[in-house]
Amino acid sequence: MERDGYVAEPAIATAVYLAKEMRKPLLVEGEAGVGKTELAKTIARVLGTELIRLQCYEGLDANTALYEWNYQRQLLRLRIAERETHDPKALEELIFGREYLLERPLLQAITRRDGPPVLLIDEVDRADDGFEAFLLEVLSDFQVTVPELGTIKAEHVPYVVLTSNRTREIGDALRRRCLYLYIEHPSLDKELRILHGKVPGLSEHLARAIARFVRELRKRDLRKLPGVAESIDWAQALMRLHQDRLDGEVVRVTLGCLLKDEHDVRMTGEEAVAELVAHASGQE
Amino acid sequence: MHPARSDVRASASRGIAEHLARFAGAMRERGIGVGLSDEIDAASALTLVDLLDRAEVHRGLRIAFKIPRAAWATFDRLFDEHWGGAAALEVPIPPPTYPREPRGPLQWRWDGERVRLEAPEPERPTGDEPGYSAAQLLRRKPFDQISESELAAMERLLARLALRLAARRSRRLVPTRGQGIVDLRRSFRHALGTAGDLARLARRTRALEEPRVVLLYDTSGSMDPYTRFHLAFAFALRRVIRRVEIFAFNTLLTRVTRDVAPAKILRSLEWLAADVPDWSGGTRIGECLAEFVALHASLVRRDTTVVIVSDGLDLGDTELLVGAMRALRDRAGTIVWLNPLMGDARYEPTAAGMRAALPYVDHVAAAHNLESLERLLRFVN
Repeated sequence: MERDGYVAEPAIATAVYLAKEMRKPLLVEGEAGVGKTELAKTIARVLGTELIRLQCYEGLDANTALYEWNYQRQLLRLRIAERETHDPKALEELIFGREYLLERPLLQAITRRDGPPVLLIDEVDRADDGFEAFLLEVLSDFQVTVPELGTIKAEHVPYVVLTSNRTREIGDALRRRCLYLYIEHPSLDKELRILHGKVPGLSEHLARAIARFVRELRKRDLRKLPGVAESIDWAQALMRLHQDRLDGEVVRVTLGCLLKDEHDVRMTGEEAVAELVAHASGQE
Repeated sequence: MHPARSDVRASASRGIAEHLARFAGAMRERGIGVGLSDEIDAASALTLVDLLDRAEVHRGLRIAFKIPRAAWATFDRLFDEHWGGAAALEVPIPPPTYPREPRGPLQWRWDGERVRLEAPEPERPTGDEPGYSAAQLLRRKPFDQISESELAAMERLLARLALRLAARRSRRLVPTRGQGIVDLRRSFRHALGTAGDLARLARRTRALEEPRVVLLYDTSGSMDPYTRFHLAFAFALRRVIRRVEIFAFNTLLTRVTRDVAPAKILRSLEWLAADVPDWSGGTRIGECLAEFVALHASLVRRDTTVVIVSDGLDLGDTELLVGAMRALRDRAGTIVWLNPLMGDARYEPTAAGMRAALPYVDHVAAAHNLESLERLLRFVN
């Protein structure tokens, strides 16, 4: 996985291995920006298969996630067909064919012909619990019943990755159906490897300073702790600004890459930045 | 696979299954909710990982048992106890037993001043047993002084409170016969039946959500004078709102939702007496709330109102309390703290627990009598 730019610690590797062997969905939780979504993308890349993504949001319903009939096309076809035939059965078969079915992510994942895809159900905590119950049904049977067409069974059972930011707790029933992985903020060493993997050309010296700075920043009492995604953004920003070391001035103007909350920015004033910079550039 | 390793596997596999069952039992005892399906997952995970690599067994089990982050510390401790190393697997393992500490019933004792719970007995009586007189003793609590009309008045108030709480509309759209935005999908669907004529437009509107309430009720000694009022509050809530969960806490946290049955107040009190340890003892709010967050956080969602009834006189760890309050804040819709001491005009929130919790609370109210409940009603919403 590391070749693909994803630094997986043993816990992550074990979880992916078990999920693949046991054919169970993998529920990934962790703070924002620790690489949950990235994990699913990497699995797809490593397995050489397609990633099908379903982004959850409050109010998401089965129609948007599963399938929908293309009513406009159906109506048009109906108008045309009426001039030719009046046999109701023929009409019905005509407009309720597969070509009038709009496949949404869940159905796409089930009907994909060439090998199992990776189905990423992103931020499942944002969907309401009614949707969660529906998801449970799909994930246990991997078949979908469209009343007009009959039951569509999975060609290949997809590899499923669910992610959650814990804005609300996932129901026990869904949790039970999955394997569970919690990703923590990375260790210093891991973060360094990630930075080098994601930001080519970054000097060892600057990477170490960034990793140490961010690590120390995470220990502070902030509302939104910066994740790895933020460190990468920051490293890229510093590269663009042609900086090869951290100093108070540069850190203050680029702090927006790391802290995305007004309260947190205020909490990290000149003094705090100087302290952090000193820590970051200090010796072990 | 290496042949020697597969031998180890074959001879150990039966022992491991039993071991796994005992391990799961121990976790359940410590409040980590693992079920049979998790055990099956764990067993099949063990067939996939390298059993001689203890760290990998640890990771594999944590993943397969679906241990939430908050319970990792407990899990790690139990793992160390149960999976001490390769040697532990070879020791003949006795048939699994699930030793459970008999919890309660505690006996109610009248010490001249107030009712206390003492001396746990080994077995739980069925309730019909002669001589078990918790209910009788409980009557000495001021609870039975609440009058029928007072109760009725309170319930009317609470019904209004519940309606306010229910006023949130979901973003989910549901079909409606009344007004709402046009639902093209369903309109077209109907039109297919009339050969493409849009005879009528289907509409949908935002769903109305049922309120969810979690009540955390302090049963420590300092709260004794308010017990009757707040228990009635709990009963009334239970009657008005379907999705309410009730917990009692003092030094321990107990889920009492099932004990608080609206139709049978007296029997409920018996059950409560049996189920809540250390009634009228001290409080450790921080520990109890932290335990609630660790084990029952799934009950709290963005549409949940968390009501904490406590005077904030805390014997426990303030830092734990802050951590738990922050976790609740992140998850709950509204947090209401009812503190009967606030009924006193001279009251200042000086208790360490109360002061620490205040920044995370949406509404603080006295709620020591009907009038203060009325005032609370104006707060909410």
